[in-house]
Amino acid sequence: MGKSAGRDTGIFAVACLCGMASGMFGIGGGVLLVPLLALLYGFSQHRAQGTSLVALIPPTGVLALIAYAREDFVSWQTGLLLIPGVFLGGIVGGRLAEKLQPERMRQVFAGILFALGAWQAFSAWRR
Amino acid sequence: MFPVCCGSFKEGLLAAAGREKIEGAQRFFIEDLLAAPKLNMTLIILLLGLGVGVLVGLLGIGGGVVLVPAMVYLLGMDQHLAQGTSLFILLPPIGLGALREYWKQGQVDLRAGILCAIGMLLGAYGGSLVALPLASRHLKGLFGCFLVVSAILLWRKAEFEGKPVAAKGESARG
Repeated sequence: MGKSAGRDTGIFAVACLCGMASGMFGIGGGVLLVPLLALLYGFSQHRAQGTSLVALIPPTGVLALIAYAREDFVSWQTGLLLIPGVFLGGIVGGRLAEKLQPERMRQVFAGILFALGAWQAFSAWRR
Repeated sequence: MFPVCCGSFKEGLLAAAGREKIEGAQRFFIEDLLAAPKLNMTLIILLLGLGVGVLVGLLGIGGGVVLVPAMVYLLGMDQHLAQGTSLFILLPPIGLGALREYWKQGQVDLRAGILCAIGMLLGAYGGSLVALPLASRHLKGLFGCFLVVSAILLWRKAEFEGKPVAAKGESARG
């Protein structure tokens, strides 16, 4: 029982950290949550991904969104256009995940993210 | 395509019609030209959404991490605007379709998921308070650093799959 409470507290703390990143960078937080659940709590890959999707069902970013909207930092039209595609694509991706080798996918994705991030940081702070 | 055929049609009009008509036709032509990129943009945005969605299902992520740079570089948005829009997109449960597939396979830890949802709700508000006063340039740079860190974590995760015991010592970090 005590161990389970400790695990819960730890997961909650990890989630708060992911939430910080989510509000700061306008992302869902899953990209941090998935590897952290797996690395710190030994979740299997599929289980970490499924659990991350649960965490993304309620509108966790709603408070952050209100803060951004107050500063007029939201393009509502672009957002509305993106939503149906992301939803439909999500179903396709969920099916694909069972068939494809997710490890290979993740490594390719990690490589792309690394390059993208390095480039973005460089282009922002050059000069 | 459309403005091109319209253009030849309009040339015919220009040759045949009087001065006023020409101006009217040209104005119409310009409107067509303006409308066409808008249509292309709409199409690009729709396709972008679909592509990001596949990643959402495939990797169990929210999609924002791809959406934000895509909106900054493909759609030419400001960093703050891209982040705010991304938060808006993540408002409805876009991962629901993907979640159903995982649920069918029994690959969901509901208790941990709910805990994470609550933690992220609070954390996200704190994060937005940090980000909003920052200059767009610094926020963009920080976002880049964040991408690098998550890329490393994702990569480590991929390696960790093979050897579950070796990574136990990592739990001190985080």
